[in-house]
Amino acid sequence: MNALLLAVDVPPISNVTIWGAGPLGFNKTAAIYVFAALATMLVFMLGTRRKDALVPAGLLQNTAESGVGFVRNQIIMQTMGTDGLQYLPYLTALFFFIFFSSITEIIPFVQFPANARFGMPLTLALATWVIYNVVGVAKQGPLHYLKNSLIPPGVPKPILLLVIPIEFVSTFIVRPFSLMVRLFANMLAGHLILVTFAALSAGLWAAKVTVVIMPFSFGLLVAMTGFEILVAFLQAFIFTILTAVYIDSSMHPSH
Amino acid sequence: MRKRIHALVAVLGITFVVGLLAAPAYAAETIQPAKPFTTEAAKQCFEKLAKGGDVTADDCQKAPSPLLPAKNEILWGTASFLVLLIAVWKFGVPAVKNMEKAREDRIRNDLEGAEKAKAEAEAEKAQYLAQIAGAKDEAGRLIEEARQAAETVRADLVARAEQEANDIRARAQADIANQTNQAMAQLRTDVASLSIDLAGRIVERNLDSDTNRQLVDSFIDQVSGSN
Repeated sequence: MNALLLAVDVPPISNVTIWGAGPLGFNKTAAIYVFAALATMLVFMLGTRRKDALVPAGLLQNTAESGVGFVRNQIIMQTMGTDGLQYLPYLTALFFFIFFSSITEIIPFVQFPANARFGMPLTLALATWVIYNVVGVAKQGPLHYLKNSLIPPGVPKPILLLVIPIEFVSTFIVRPFSLMVRLFANMLAGHLILVTFAALSAGLWAAKVTVVIMPFSFGLLVAMTGFEILVAFLQAFIFTILTAVYIDSSMHPSH
Repeated sequence: MRKRIHALVAVLGITFVVGLLAAPAYAAETIQPAKPFTTEAAKQCFEKLAKGGDVTADDCQKAPSPLLPAKNEILWGTASFLVLLIAVWKFGVPAVKNMEKAREDRIRNDLEGAEKAKAEAEAEKAQYLAQIAGAKDEAGRLIEEARQAAETVRADLVARAEQEANDIRARAQADIANQTNQAMAQLRTDVASLSIDLAGRIVERNLDSDTNRQLVDSFIDQVSGSN
């Protein structure tokens, strides 16, 4: 078993959890999150520097404007409508932060998506959970919110015995849990695939005869690297749009 | 039967004890890596693990740095990233550039269009304002003209009316004078005859009519002269 571990040279888990332990411990994951936060801030600070310029110019301004436009038009307007525009700052920050902390997966010498540790996905999912519950209670009142969350319209009374527990688990437990797991598992899986194909390419290169099939492994590594860009974007989008959907369900109960 | 069982147990026991004693030595001799080690660190780690004891994989195999991934991963990951980068550079970036340019152009055109429309609207507004001012001036001029014409007409009318009034007055005065003269003449005649008649009756004296008439006339002349 130990010999097998060595054969693929997988770096142990501890190599990303050093630099101190406890609440103030700092590691590569934390460093990537700091980078993601700074990158998000920089895009919007530098991208909006030229306040007098109405015609957008440069990558940063276009990125900032398209990003906000994307969150506004493709996420908020599709789910919440104009009511939801007050959540534009939270959702935009969420989108950019998740994207930046996932895209490090393919950046050479970093090659690790911070969201492959479930700490921050959990935190973000809990933030979303708190927001949609607070919005629900504030907009509908505690009792109405509970009623609208637990009792779907048009369900016969006897079935409610079955439906209410299901709805409770689905709304208050599964939602944040699935948000967290979806992001964390996707990024971890992507990272493992990249590591696997990188290690496989290395192993095939070192061996003598099998080197002929190395290009296939490497080709797949390139394809997967490209695919992971898409995944990083898609997961940021999914997390953000689901957050919007959950907030919407609290703002506009369906009945 | 019993002897055979004892012999079997003894053989098994001896084999077990020998095996137990020989196992570590055997293990140390026979566990060999499947392939030659790529690095010195891996070799050391393998030896540490092979010796056994209180050692886990985590303890023996530290990555070179807490920040960097393993060397293999860096190498091949970077290579695949570069391939992808070249592809993106060649195909992705121009597409994005075009998109950006289209977006910039669209916004610039929109802004310029708005600017142009605004300028046009301003020009039209100025034109309308000028027209309105012109119309106001025209209206003022027309009103002034009308007022002047009305004034002229009025002055004319007043003058004519005054003229007519004067004429009428003059005619009336002439009439009055005529009438007065006639009346005076009539009166004079009547008064003369009446006076003569009256005087004749009162005095009962036959006087020469012509003399009397002269007397009365002179009297009346005195009266009217003093009048």
